[in-house]
Parts: sequence; C-alpha cells; structure tokens
Amino acid sequence: MSSPYRSNDTTSGKVPAAREIVRRLIGSRPRKQQRGDTGARAAAAACDSLYRELSRWVGPDGCHALFARALAETRPQYPALEKIQLRARSEPYIEGIADSIMASGDPATAEALESMLVRLVELLGRLIGDDMAGKLIDRTFGDSEQSSGDTREEA
Amino acid sequence: MNEAERNPIRSLPSGVPGFDTVVGGGLPEFSFNLIAGGPGSGKTILAHQIMFANATVERPALYFTVLGEPTLKMLRYQRQFKYFDPDLAGSAIHFINLSAEVMDRNLGDVLARIVSETERAKPGIVVVDSFRTIGGQSGSGVPPIELDQFVQRLALHLTTWETTSFLLGEYAVEEQRNPVFTVADGIFWLSQATDRNSVVRKLQVIKTRGRAPMPGLHTFRITDDGLQVFPRIPEHTRLRHEQQRRRLSTGVPGLDEMIGGGVVAGDAVMLTGPAGSGKSTVATQFIAEGLKQGETGVIAVFEEYPEDYLARADARDSEVGDMIRSGKLELIYLRPLDLSVDEALAAILEAVQRLKATRIVIDSLSGFEVALAPTFREDFRESLYRLVGTLTATGVTVFMTAEVPEGFSDAKFTSEKVSFITDEILVQRYVEIEGELLRVMAVIKVRGSDHSHEFRLYEITENGVVVGGPLKEYDGIITGVPTLRSLPSRPKRSK
Repeated sequence: MSSPYRSNDTTSGKVPAAREIVRRLIGSRPRKQQRGDTGARAAAAACDSLYRELSRWVGPDGCHALFARALAETRPQYPALEKIQLRARSEPYIEGIADSIMASGDPATAEALESMLVRLVELLGRLIGDDMAGKLIDRTFGDSEQSSGDTREEA
Repeated sequence: MNEAERNPIRSLPSGVPGFDTVVGGGLPEFSFNLIAGGPGSGKTILAHQIMFANATVERPALYFTVLGEPTLKMLRYQRQFKYFDPDLAGSAIHFINLSAEVMDRNLGDVLARIVSETERAKPGIVVVDSFRTIGGQSGSGVPPIELDQFVQRLALHLTTWETTSFLLGEYAVEEQRNPVFTVADGIFWLSQATDRNSVVRKLQVIKTRGRAPMPGLHTFRITDDGLQVFPRIPEHTRLRHEQQRRRLSTGVPGLDEMIGGGVVAGDAVMLTGPAGSGKSTVATQFIAEGLKQGETGVIAVFEEYPEDYLARADARDSEVGDMIRSGKLELIYLRPLDLSVDEALAAILEAVQRLKATRIVIDSLSGFEVALAPTFREDFRESLYRLVGTLTATGVTVFMTAEVPEGFSDAKFTSEKVSFITDEILVQRYVEIEGELLRVMAVIKVRGSDHSHEFRLYEITENGVVVGGPLKEYDGIITGVPTLRSLPSRPKRSK
C-alpha cells in the first residue's frame, strides 16, 4: 500500500521484517498522552530509546553515524523529516518533533520516523547481521519496560 | 600439603586449541590478565574466543570497547569467525562502549562505569579493549600515579566480583614498567614477525600466577576457526614407549630381509634417495602393509597434492584409498610456506591420537623443510629432532623420506642435516651398468641390530618396489659406475 506521505518507495526486500521490528518497538513505547500527536511522539521516543541502547553497544558516535545515515537516506522521501534534527550525546536525541508535527501533521511525522528507523535497522542488519541487529533492538524493548514512565514530552 | 589444603584455583578453558597447554592447564579463574601485542596480532580474536567459550546467560561476559576499532566494525568482522555465536550476543555477551567516559579523560568515571556494569551483570568474564587507550599512552595527560591507582582499583573490583578479566593493549616489550604489567596475574604476548615473504605469529606467556606455563615462543595461526596455538615441544619430556623390538614388515619384498627382519617398531626410519628413485612408493608400501595387518596410519605429504598422492597410491594398491575412506588411514596435506614444525606436529599428533595410528609417513623431509617459514628453516635440525622425538615417544613408527642429490663421483648416503635423528637409514641410488641406469638400495644403519651390508638391485613395478639380488660381482657400486669384477654376465634383475 503506497503512502501519501512519501514520494517513492526505496525500501529493500527486508523491509517487512525490519518494519515489523520497528512497529513493535514503537508500539512498546508507553502512550500516556491522549493528544492527537501520539504516533509521532511514540516514534520519537522509540528513536531516543534505540539511540540510548545502541550507544551502550556501539558508542554514541557509532550510533549517531547510523542514525545520521538513516535520516539522510530517508529524508528525500519524507518531507516531514525536514525539521528533524539529531543531537549526539543529548537527551532527547531527536529534536524538532513538535515543529514537524505542526508542519506535516502527526501521521506523516510518525510514518517518516518509522521509515527512518526501518532504514536504520536494515543498515545495522547489513553491517552486523539481521539476527544480531534484531537482538539489539530486542534489548531496547526491555529498556522500555524498565523505564515505563519514559513518555517523551518535547516542548 | 594435600590438594584440598592448597585450595586449588579452578581453570577456565580458553576455547583456543593449544592455548591451555601453553598456559599450564587453562586460565586461572578470577585472574586479572593482560593480552598485549602489536596491531593485528590477534588480541581481539583471542579475547573473543575466550569469551564465547565461557559466557553463559547466568555468568555473562562484558566486553568493554573503548576508543580504537569502532564496535560496529569489530562485530562485523568478529562474526565472520566460527566461534562467534550470534545467539549469545545480547544474552550471554554484552558489548558496552566506554568512549564517552574515556574521551572525558576521567579515570574515575571509567572505573565507576566498569564497576556499575559489573555489579549489574555479575559477569564471569570482563574484557576491556583497548585498555591502552584508557590512559596507558605517553602524552595521554594521565599522571602515572593516577594510572597506578586506577589499575589497582580495577583489578581489586573485578577480582572481588569474581570475574576473570582481560585487558587488551598495544604495548611494546620495553613498556613492561607500566603498572598494568605489575598488577596483572597473567600476561600473554602476541607477536607477528615478517621474514622475507612469510609471516609467523607467536605467543609468549610472560607470566601466569599460580600456574607453570610452557616457556618459550609458541607459534599460532589465525583461521576461520579463530586462533590455534601450537605449543613448542619440550625436548623429550616423555619416555619412549617400551617396545619389545617387534619387527614390522615394510611391505617391500626383499627389504625386510635386508633390514634384519623388518623395521623395528617405534623406530624413526629414513629412506633417502635421488629424485625418481621410488622413495614415496616404498613409504606407501610401508603404510599399506600396516593397513593389511590391521594397523592404522597417517601420511603427511608435502610435495604432492593429496589427490595426486592418493591416485598414485590407489593405482598400486586400491586398499589405500579404501582405508582413507574408512578412516583407517589419514592423509595430511601440509604445504603452506609459513608452516612451523610445531604446527605440523600438532596436525600429525592429532591424527595419530584420533586414529590410534601405529605407522606414520612423512613424505618428504625435503618438502617439509621448504614448507616451513624461513625463520624455522634455520632451526630445522633442532625442530626435527624434537618432532621425531615426540612422535616416537608415543610409540608410533615414523617413516621419513628425504631427497639427496645424485652425484656419480661421490656417494651421499643421507641428508647430513637429519640423519642423526634416525634409528634406521635406508638409501637408494642410481648406478650405471652396461649403459643402463639401474637402481640399488642399501641399509646404512639399524640401531642395535644386524642388517645387510649389500647393495641390492631393485625395480619399481606396477605393484611397487621389489628388491632383487646383490651385485656381488661388481666393485665400485658406491661410485655409481661399478666395474665388473669377475663374471662377464649382466646382473639378473628381479621379476
């Protein structure tokens, strides 16, 4: 099914698996907010959580390099990512969510972030193997359970 | 003091073939170790192999990465090795990056992070790669006293938490005054030396507290399986098996009689001769005869590809191929040009023990010498002495071939480099009689036994070498151009 929020499909054959992982990751984020921008906030929280967990393994710089490439490759297809900024060694890691929601809407921002994460998972899988990439993401699920009050709230 | 009173330290298997032997029986549990060596010497591989061999979900391993090889790249490369089990990563093995703490140059933060992660995971194994980047470099800005204290505290914490730990670092030999060398319970030094076109890797155990490591430099190789160490053979540490001077048939008609009833079991036998004289044929007959007697054997070939060797052996005796297929005979092919004697011995011994082999053929010593890295060729005599001593100490009978150049004006009976290691020496050579090139064989030495002193003609037939009669009517056989003494008739050749 084509998305109205992206210009063309550049995903690989591994997308279903990667997208499934990412959706589970985003779905595992606590959603305490009842506003209409829940999807984008949850996706951003997933990005923060993944950055935090992956940084433990590969270091903040290595992790930032992965995110930066994923964003660079996804941005052309998703205008909603134009206002998204990555801040290495910062909390939160993803900035510009509010601006993006305001400019593109919650569904578009959520889908764009999800696609960026899919790209990242695919990239990680190519580098260290899909199985290990999946394990690293699995640890992030555990991390979300430990910090269940970690609902992202960006000004 | 009995065993219990000594409170013996448990040993961890390293998972690295040969390593535990060198270390003195395995890695002491809860020891604080340093794996040192230059870039590309195999430090990270060794640490990973130890980690994957020991990590469990209950007692996981923590692998702290610092600056240096980016973790993503390290994982990408490490998982190419067979020991890398992706199922363990994330469950029994956790990679933790310390670059943030190290970049702040705050050793207190580094220590606090390592300690907190250790307390959280209660690991059995901790690795810090590379420890050198934490503060061990000159110009790092870390005062020596601070580094001393850091190392002391780290060692104390890790041991208190009952972890066996490994610090990896690119240290040079002259840096052994670094505090980490003093504190470490075990120091394993990896090196690689280039000699002409070959590279030889070596391991040295500088120290292991509570263990008696094997001294010296031990060669090792890195393959898809990871590291494999080839312990340097101590000279004759084992007693040669008691043999009852049992005689083994060579399988060469006529030759047993020349030797005095066959090869003495457990002896080292050398057959020398010029190219094409049939040395490999005799060696194969020796093995085939053993197989016929229900024995098992190992052939180490250095000059031919195994397929060619087997095809040739099969053409004469189809049993050889059948025996290989049925696991009674093993053909070991050793032909790299950076081989060490210890590596060859490890391969042969492993096969001997697995097959319970009683006969070994090394075909040939000349090819073996060429296959060695140049640095080992210089010590060939000494190395071969240890190799043959170790093999015969296990009770097997070793049959070696060696090529000697044929000279018609002089008689070079044996390869002078290695003849001293043998119990029995057989020689083959060409002689010219009536314008025809014939082959003769003689027995030079059988230790502690009488033997034939005649030169005998032999032929290489489709069934192998067959020894014929002596050349009694000729003088000067030793020159290669004998002269007829009395009888005008041409010597009879065997059928």
